[in-house]
Amino acid sequence: MSLKSISANMLKKKKKMAEDVSGNNHAQQMLGFNLDVPFPSEREASIALNSLSPDREPRKGGITKELVAVGNVLSVRWTADEARVLRVSVGSFLDHLALVLETMEAFGPPIS
Amino acid sequence: MTVVIGFEGSANKIGVGIVRDGEVLSNPRRTYITPPGQGFLPSETAKHHRSVILTVVREALDEAELSPADIDCVAYTKGPGMGAPLVTVALVARTLAQLWGKPLLGVNHCIGHIEMGRLITQANNPTVLYVSGGNTQVVAFSERRYRIFGETIDIAVGNCLDRFARVIKISNDPSPGYNIEQMAKKGTEYVELPYTVKGMDVSFSGVLSYIEEAAHKMLSSGQCTAEDLCFSLQETLFSMLVEITERAMAHCGSQEVLIVGGVGCNLRLQEMMGIMCKERGAKLFATDERFCIDNGAMIAQAGWEMFRSGYVTELPDSWITQR
Repeated sequence: MSLKSISANMLKKKKKMAEDVSGNNHAQQMLGFNLDVPFPSEREASIALNSLSPDREPRKGGITKELVAVGNVLSVRWTADEARVLRVSVGSFLDHLALVLETMEAFGPPIS
Repeated sequence: MTVVIGFEGSANKIGVGIVRDGEVLSNPRRTYITPPGQGFLPSETAKHHRSVILTVVREALDEAELSPADIDCVAYTKGPGMGAPLVTVALVARTLAQLWGKPLLGVNHCIGHIEMGRLITQANNPTVLYVSGGNTQVVAFSERRYRIFGETIDIAVGNCLDRFARVIKISNDPSPGYNIEQMAKKGTEYVELPYTVKGMDVSFSGVLSYIEEAAHKMLSSGQCTAEDLCFSLQETLFSMLVEITERAMAHCGSQEVLIVGGVGCNLRLQEMMGIMCKERGAKLFATDERFCIDNGAMIAQAGWEMFRSGYVTELPDSWITQR
């Protein structure tokens, strides 16, 4: 198989995965990724949200990311045009999330 | 009594410092050093900072013999600098500010350098030369703001030095600039290089291109040594910096010069600036490597000034900026 056909296949697979996950991507032809992170308390989910939401995505177009805290769960929703862009954004976010979690573990729990 | 913890990580140094009313209680720092011939890239730098930052926070608190409850506010570098490392540090600062229930202060990196320089040297109203790997500006305080009177129109002087160091594969430990300075002391032949002052401003990318090519030609033909090139480069770059500083001093009628930023550690630069100051009857102020090089305490100090003036940074506004 040529490199071109391999990556075209991967893209189709990712698209299908994304469609399976969020169901209604056929019309927009966009890729999606959803992440739900449970926290020990509503307060901690809110702290994580406030830490992770202020910075803008480095890339101007082709990707959207929405963060929201519902109860003690931090929910993140991505949409992107290209798999590569989506992968980079999700990967960075997970590194940032890990750092926030480590910080909370080292210096938490939040003072009341 | 106001105790501020400051976080700095805009380039390859990650520092956390604690300042209490003008007293530096602790200022630990780590540097991400790359192999000779390589510069530091944003993602790897951020990875380095992520791996050590919490340890450095703990060190800062332990050295200052304080607990989080003793801290009054959390200051961090809002910008300018490299995006990925800035985000890493901002995340920790935001999280700690919320965990500890303290206000957050987004500090301008350049102002951090200036405020620390002022604190340490007690300079009154100096013309500031801010020179580092990322910045080259001549700054003075005028009508309630720090204003740029002259600057580089392309790359910073430290960037020029660092990239030249890469070409001749000088070690980056402890920093390329330090090693260039040591080699320059052994240089004997002066190689003429382009001199590019542009009015109040200065340019370095042309000098860099020239010396990169000259290095290949002259070192292989044995016309001069690497030490000679280091010496010649320093003499040329620093003369240009002295000239634009003097021009700004003449405009502002200033009798004090303060050098801040990593390149400010360079003793030859301090010596040359000192000669110019002496000729004008002006006073020169400089700090040592603890405060010249990026550090957390300088951010804490600038944060302290902001906090005292009633500024805080709300979380939604705490985004970092590369410029």
